Amino acid sequence: MKRRVAALFLGSMMAVSSIAATAAYAEETSEAESVSEPESVSDSGETGTAATAAATAIQSATSTAVSPDNDFVIAIEGSVSGLDPQNISDTNAISACSGMYETLVTFDGEGNIVGKLAESYEVSDDNLTYTFHLRQGVKFHDGTDFTAQSVIDNINRVTDKDNGLSRRRLFIVTDSDGNETNRIESMEAPDDYTLVLKLAMPYNVFLNKLTQFCIISPTALEKYGNDIMYHPCGTGPYVFSEWKQGDHTTMTANPDYWGEKPSVDTLTIQEVPEAGSRTAMLQTGEADMVYPFTSDQLAAVSGDDTINVSAGYSNIMRYVTLNMNLEQLSKKEVRQAMNYAIDKDAYVQVMYSGYGLPATSCVPSCISYYKEEPAYTYDLDKAKELMAEAGYPDGFDLTLWGDNTTQEIKGMTFVAQQLAQIGINVEVVPMEPATVSDSIYVDKEDAKINMWYVNWSASDRSFDSSVRALLHSTMMPPTSANTAYYDNPAFDKDLDDALAETDPTVLAQLYGDAQDQAWEDCPWLFLGNDEILYATKNYVSGVSVLPDGQLSFGTAALAQ
Amino acid sequence: MARYVLRRILSTIPLLIAITFLIFMFIHLIPGDPARLIAGMDATKEEVETIRENLGLNKPLLVQYGEYMKGLFTGDLGNSVRNNATVWDTIRPCFKPTIILTITSMIWATILGVFLGIIAAVRRGKPLDYITMVIAISGISIPGFWLGLELIQVFSVNLRIFPTAGLSTAKSYVLPSITMGCGIMAILARFTRSSMLENMKEDYVRTARAKGLSEPAVILKYAFRNSLIEVVTVAALQIGGLLSGSVMTETVFSIPGLGRLLVDSINYRDYKVVQALLLFFALEYIIINLITDIVYGFLNPKIRYN
Repeated sequence: MKRRVAALFLGSMMAVSSIAATAAYAEETSEAESVSEPESVSDSGETGTAATAAATAIQSATSTAVSPDNDFVIAIEGSVSGLDPQNISDTNAISACSGMYETLVTFDGEGNIVGKLAESYEVSDDNLTYTFHLRQGVKFHDGTDFTAQSVIDNINRVTDKDNGLSRRRLFIVTDSDGNETNRIESMEAPDDYTLVLKLAMPYNVFLNKLTQFCIISPTALEKYGNDIMYHPCGTGPYVFSEWKQGDHTTMTANPDYWGEKPSVDTLTIQEVPEAGSRTAMLQTGEADMVYPFTSDQLAAVSGDDTINVSAGYSNIMRYVTLNMNLEQLSKKEVRQAMNYAIDKDAYVQVMYSGYGLPATSCVPSCISYYKEEPAYTYDLDKAKELMAEAGYPDGFDLTLWGDNTTQEIKGMTFVAQQLAQIGINVEVVPMEPATVSDSIYVDKEDAKINMWYVNWSASDRSFDSSVRALLHSTMMPPTSANTAYYDNPAFDKDLDDALAETDPTVLAQLYGDAQDQAWEDCPWLFLGNDEILYATKNYVSGVSVLPDGQLSFGTAALAQ
Repeated sequence: MARYVLRRILSTIPLLIAITFLIFMFIHLIPGDPARLIAGMDATKEEVETIRENLGLNKPLLVQYGEYMKGLFTGDLGNSVRNNATVWDTIRPCFKPTIILTITSMIWATILGVFLGIIAAVRRGKPLDYITMVIAISGISIPGFWLGLELIQVFSVNLRIFPTAGLSTAKSYVLPSITMGCGIMAILARFTRSSMLENMKEDYVRTARAKGLSEPAVILKYAFRNSLIEVVTVAALQIGGLLSGSVMTETVFSIPGLGRLLVDSINYRDYKVVQALLLFFALEYIIINLITDIVYGFLNPKIRYN
């Protein structure tokens, strides 16, 4: 996120030259939005179903063509920081690993959790015992058989403190005294293909967490230890070929893959930080897919009938936190008034050329148990009325913090202009991201924060991961990121009770109530959820971008 | 001459030590906690504390500096916080693209720049002077990223002659070299011109002409020979800049060089990688200055004996 300053600068320069074209597309976009409005499904499926929607075509190629080769190249913006799936946290590294590695369970196209390396699983009535029936006949790329013991070895590796792996947090909880507890109390393998995990306490998002836990060949782990980063070895559809840091990651099709084998010979993820260069690569055919495709590049490819541009939903929540410890912001009327004063449609238009949706809850629609809330429709009269009611007919002064990237400053300026309409005078204070972080994680007495323009996305798409660190009362700084200092016992209770629950109906009720509470209390200015844009050559099929920005290319194909 | 070189080399040691201290302190005084950046916005205070401890960031700064210096002398630069790879493994692959680009850009920029500078000086006030100076001013004024994107549009997208990104073939170096060398060519052209104009007013040039030497001989052997010191100084400074990697060119052409690595590492607060890179850049300037001084000695024997 932070390394894009230069790229954003370039992007903004290019944007200047394509403003007219972008405006022309804006109208088309709003149509696309209405077509792709997600259906709200709240309480079906094993772990609750998130509303998802297939990608919407923005520009569809009219010609048909064949690929000159069978090597699939994806140009991405960021960098692949590592290939140890248990020690990565950035989306691009996760994308690259997803070609070579697999998890026990995963999300299907509808956002349900389904088996992958586990063919099926059961959860005991007390929600403590998870029994996985593993797929048989699966082999790691080095020929090792995949068994229950492989999973146990992997969990042992990731939970070992000495390894210092980032994914350790999937299984280890640290309390406020620094004591650590392993969520998994015991692991057993009654036979090679049955795995029984007993939890120390009920944890309804355990399966969501497992969607992020890749299984590495135990033989390779034994051989390479933490150098496994340079020698990836999993069970996935692609076999590792080459990783040149800062440049590209290449893998080849796995001829022995247990599932549907990839039809392409090789797959390369090429790092191309500049948006204009990515577009050029797509035009020349050097890349078969580019992600992200920025809306200011639409003009460059419009009329090119060999290029498809698609938009899909993201799990990115854009919001502004309101420090409820401040006297003015402690009044609910004021916070609601501020939400009424912001034209969310205009926000999406200004920030994302229309490729986004106004926020309709404290989480995006692709998150499990999302519930659509009644909109704070843009209404200045109502906003002013509420301000007067709260005793601030003439408004007051506030500061708004945020990152100093072009895009973030644009968003902050927009918020400031909107709030000025109800007399709130906002001073925009852009800061270098690491400085923002230093200013925020301080003791309550030292907190100088008023408002923070920020975004959040939870890869595991669970409701708990989407809000706990941001809104639970135990997560105020310096502990974590509840910079609204939101303290609502009813909201906390919903979240805490839900952790021990697995009945989807009860969960929908608890998380639904939590969303009602947060929406009514307005600890944030709820802004929007952006869409993910990507472009492909017209001979490409079987690829998509998941809501968290992860590339899905297991069944990628190039028409021959 | 050998003593002169030795003296120059020895004098760089205290300088290098002072540089390591300054680099270390500056980096650690920038606001921003790498542990928080690694842990993520939602991590709890305790999780961040654990990471701080693992990275050794909770020790006093001077102790950390001591450990860093110890590592430096034993060849252990530490590990990157991004993926735990050793710093050397992280930096090493970035040298090749940056060094090749530096060499290719410098070669064409120096030859063309000096050539244009001489022509402009010789044809002072004539149309050729104006034309070359327009080229030079354009070279300085055109922003690298714009030129890069335009070159991609013309030569990659429209003509399909050169690849857009990456460094897969020798052809991949052409467009980035042009982009990087453009500004340098312009600077060298201007410096050569002004220095030549100075020298051409000197008495020895008039004497050379009076002796009946041919005009090319006067210009190259007398005027240009004396301009060389200035040209070498300017070119050397440019090499130093290029070897530190060009963020813009590397970004536009997706080149995994030192410039992009530095910016990425600063944003991640990857202290150890940043320290190593800055130290390398400092070392590089010192070495280039050293070489320049030695070259001066050859160009002007007077300097050697002072």
